[in-house]
Order: sequence, then structure tokens, then C-alpha cells
Amino acid sequence: MQTNHHKERLYKILVIGDLGVGKTSIIKRYVHHNFSPNYRATIGVDFALKVLNWDQETVRLQLWDIAGQERFGNMTRVYYREAMGAFIVFDVTRPASFEAVTKWKEDLDSKLTLTNGKHVATVLLANKCDQGRDVLTNNGIKMEQFCQENGFVGWYETSAKENINIDEAANCLVKHIIASEKDMLQSEVSDTITPQLEKDKGGTCSSCFRSQ
Amino acid sequence: MATASLILYIDRSLFARRVKDNRPVEQRDPGWKLFGKVPPREGPIKDPKKVQKEYETKSGRGGPGNPTSPRQSVRKNLDFEPLSTTALILEDRPANLPAKPVEEAQKHRQQYEEMVAQAKKRELKEAQKRKKQLEDRCKLEESIGTAAQTWNQEILPNWSAMCTSRRVRDLWWQGIPPSVRGKVWSLAVGNELNITHELYHICLSRAKVKWKTTPASSAETETEDAGCSDRESSLELIKLDISRTFPQLCIFQQGGPYHDVLHSILGAYTCYRPDVGYVQGMSFIAAVLILNLDTADAFIAFANLLNKPCQMAFFRVDHSLMLTYFAAFEVFFEENLPKLFAHFKKNNLTPDIYLIDWIFTLYSKSLPLDLACRVWDVFCRDGEEFLFRTALGLLRLYQDVLTCMDFIHMAQFLTRLPDLIPAEQLFQHIATIHMTSRNRKWAQVLQALQKDHERGSPVLKH
Repeated sequence: MQTNHHKERLYKILVIGDLGVGKTSIIKRYVHHNFSPNYRATIGVDFALKVLNWDQETVRLQLWDIAGQERFGNMTRVYYREAMGAFIVFDVTRPASFEAVTKWKEDLDSKLTLTNGKHVATVLLANKCDQGRDVLTNNGIKMEQFCQENGFVGWYETSAKENINIDEAANCLVKHIIASEKDMLQSEVSDTITPQLEKDKGGTCSSCFRSQ
Repeated sequence: MATASLILYIDRSLFARRVKDNRPVEQRDPGWKLFGKVPPREGPIKDPKKVQKEYETKSGRGGPGNPTSPRQSVRKNLDFEPLSTTALILEDRPANLPAKPVEEAQKHRQQYEEMVAQAKKRELKEAQKRKKQLEDRCKLEESIGTAAQTWNQEILPNWSAMCTSRRVRDLWWQGIPPSVRGKVWSLAVGNELNITHELYHICLSRAKVKWKTTPASSAETETEDAGCSDRESSLELIKLDISRTFPQLCIFQQGGPYHDVLHSILGAYTCYRPDVGYVQGMSFIAAVLILNLDTADAFIAFANLLNKPCQMAFFRVDHSLMLTYFAAFEVFFEENLPKLFAHFKKNNLTPDIYLIDWIFTLYSKSLPLDLACRVWDVFCRDGEEFLFRTALGLLRLYQDVLTCMDFIHMAQFLTRLPDLIPAEQLFQHIATIHMTSRNRKWAQVLQALQKDHERGSPVLKH
């Protein structure tokens, strides 16, 4: 990272999850502020760039919109490299897409670790919440528990269509990415690496959980 | 062809009318308010269609199916009377002010005339340009018409004898007329698999049985054992993807005229090749075929197309073979566009990032549909190497833009190409790409790389 007076941060963020859960729609909403029901299926990977002002710094988010079909896994996994954060998306109207969430998370964690040995910050998105609520996401406590158990830094009910919680989710992710970057720098500086307990990680994240 | 005849008609009527008709437009068209100066209409307000009809009969061109817009009727006058002369008027100073000195008045008059002359010149130029465009389009439509005749009457009846001739190959490069495109594709792709219409119907009925026996789409992934869940849930994936195939055309979506056809072909294929199943990208290929062929013939072409070595490698997601293809592509990339190649290398932009989409959908997703069909034309003629040649043609076309970009902007640009891509220019660029590298052709380069990889190159381990 540059350390001169005009600081600029660049983060690569993955957007993964089953086919048709709305990954592309979420990105289009976040970056281009619009929604269309007519997005074409993503083949391979698509890209978007979002520039944020964050505490008087410029943060550039490189969003990697990765095709959802499991079969592509072998070739799209190379795209995980050097990512600093991820969204895992599921469709609240399709329970199977939620069941795949743990699979996506395990896949991500097995392929990608930060230099300090930790996993990248990952936010879970329960998309299409405008189309009715899943039994699971209805139970906030259960979802928080699910996130803690599976190492998500937070979860949001989102709707790309109605523009619900997309910015909030992204801010949450950026916040955690910056925190983990600081953490990495510290562990690089000090000769002794102090392993942190998972509990601590969970504690810092509660701020992210929405209180509805 | 409807558009062809329409354009021809408009053009002809335009030229014909210019000669005999010198009356100002507004006198003939009492219905159009747009041109002002029309006294308020008396009588009941007519609906626009009626007005249109009356206008057509009055102007003597009430032919069937010739919707004319007011613009076209005004345009005919442009060659002779530039609009600016009516917009810019030289007036004397108002009476309550002292009159201009003669000298000044003359100077102003001169300036005014110069301005009008310049405007006239510019507008004349524009009018001529428009006329030229119209003529070009006309010529193009006419050439498509004559080409269709040639294909239908000369080439198709003598296919096996003529298809490799120089003349046919040249004609082929220029694009196959839409009316014979499907037939030519079918013949060129062939039917090595010997699929009959009957076999298609058998596969389809099997698919239908499957659709019925899997009640809730979401439940199936749980019941199937994990290993083949992906293949087995093909049917669900198809449903999700169909609506996302050429959504802008609104014909493959639920309730659209080709929704069931696309569903049938993809479903039948998963029964024909359960080992391959449904893979994203297939829906785009099947859709393009459906637009050019009858259902069963589209299925035959689809299955045979996917059976080609390059397509099989990609749709079976044979990772090491795909990497071999990318490596071969890079050999020709470096050979043809060394500067851009170096720029890509410097920015870590690997070919998989843009080629995956292009190869999986045979450009039907990334190029405008008519242009994609032209790529398919030559792909049917030249085989897989043309897919990679097209990629290099695209990179060459946008070389200057790309060399000014960083990784993310290049990746964005290539995964979402401009909406308007000049077809002729693209094909000119493709034509300049040489598919030989140190005297080796595409197939030889590919084969050599394949052998290297079989010997166990560590590069491919991931």
C-alpha cells in the first residue's frame, strides 16, 4: 500500500454463490445504482470497479463476479488469489442455494488465506428478500449463530431490486477488510505472532449485525 | 428480408418523389402539426393511424406495410433547400432605432450571406452523407439478396463439390445471408454423430419424464448423492438460465415463443449426453441455433457442434486441455500483437479472463447477435482456430484503447465489449491475423503443447 499523503487503497473482492442468486444484480446495483430483471448469465467472470471515500481516503473495490455453476469451480478458483474480502450470496426463495453457502465458504477458506494465516473477511448476503422471507433468515438469532459458526463477519438481507442493504453490507465488508489489513501489518511488524482466538473476531463483528 | 424491402421502398419513393413534387411539405400534409403553419384542423380529431393512412394516400404511396415517418417526407427537400435559410433571417434595425449606415448594412448583409452559404454547404454535405448511407444500406441489402440467390440456386444444390472452392469461401467470409444461414451451418457442422429426428424425440421424451419425476426443484440436490448432484441438477440450472439467455430479445423467457423450444433442446441434450449434462453457455449456443433452424435440426447441429474437440474440452471443463488452448492462443497472440501481449503480461491479464466467456458462448453473448452470427459463419467454415483468430481480431481492433488501460479496466472492457462494434472493421482486423507461428499452423501448435503437457508440465498443476 502507498504510504504517501494521498492514501489510496485497492481491494479485490469476490462475489460468489450459486447460479442465479443475483450476484450480478447486486454488483450492478452497488456500482451503477440500477436494476434490470434482464441480466444475462455470467460465464467465467465479470468485473466492476467501485470507488469509495473512506475516512478521507480513496478506496477502490475491484469486484470479481464469478460464475455460479459448480462445474466451473476448477477454473474459477484461480480467481480467488489475492482477494481481500468476499460476499457469499444466496437466494432466500431457494433453500438449496443457502445449503450451498457452507460449501462456498469452505471452498473459499481452503483456497485463500491472508498472510497472517486468517481467512478473508466474508459477508453473507440473503438476496431477493423483497420476494418473501425464508424461514431461516426470519430467525435473526439463528442466522447470527450460523455466521459465527461459519466464520462470516456479518450477514444482511438484501434486495438488488429494491436497493435494500447493499451499501450497508459493502461498508461492513470494507470495514472488516481495513481491520484485517491493519492486523496483518501488525503481525508483520512484530516478531512474535500472537494468535488470536476466534472469539475475539466474533466480538468485533457484532457491531456489524443489523439490529432490526 | 422485410427490412430489405422496406428500405428499398423508402429509397425508391424518396427519389421518385423528389422529381415530380416540388410543393412545400406543409401544403400536402394538413395532418402533421409538427411543421407548424398549418391552420387548426376542423372536424373530428382523427386517430394517428387514420391520419397516417390519409397522408399516405394523398402523397400517393399508400402501399401495404410501408410505415413512413414525417421525417422521411421532409428529408427529400434537404438537397435543395437547407434548413438554415429558413432559420436565420436578416432583418433591418427596428424602426424606433436609427438605421444602420449603408456601409455597415452592406457588411452585415455580406456576413449574413456568408453564414447562410456556409450553413447550406454543411447541410448539403450532411444530406449527401445521409443519402450515401441510405444507398450503401440499399446496396448491402441488394447484395444480400443476390447472395441468397447464389447460395440457394448454385451452392447448396452442389454443396460437396463447391463448398471448398475459392469463390464460395470468399462469399462465405462476407457473411451468409440469414435466409440460408441455418442450412449452411447444418451442412458445415455435419452430423458425425448420426443423430436422427427420431433420436431427438426419444431424448426429449426422456427429459420430459425426468421433469415430471423431480417434483420440487430445490429438493433434488439433497436426495442425489453428492458426487453427481451437479450433473443431476442440470434440469434446474436449465430453468434458471433460459430466462437469462438473450433477455433483451424477450423470446426465450417464460411465456415467450421460443422458451419451450430452448428448454426442450437443452433438456434433450442432458439425456443424450448425461456425462456432460448442462453447462452454462450452452443456452446461448442453442438459442442462436434455434433462431436459424427448426427444432430437431437445431438439436442435431447443437450436439454435433458441442462434440468438436475444442467445445468438448470446454464444456467438460477439462481444465488442463483448456489451459493448453489458452497457451496456444498466447503463442499466436505474441506473434501477431507483441506490444499488446507484453502489456497484458505486465498487467497479469491472462487469456482465461476473457476467453472463457467468448469460447463458451461462441461470442453470442459478447458480440451483437448479427455480428456473432457472422463469426459463426466463418467458424463453421474454418473450425476452432477461427474462434481464437476472432479473439485476436478483437484485441487488434481495440489495441489502442487497451494499451492505455490498467488490469481492471481491460478486464471490464473485454468482458463487456462496446455495444456498437463496426462489423467490417472487425473482419478486416481478423483478416490481418496470421494463424501461423514459425511455419506451424494452429493445430500443430496446439498438438505440440498438448504433448508437452502430457509429459507432465508443472505449469498445469493448480
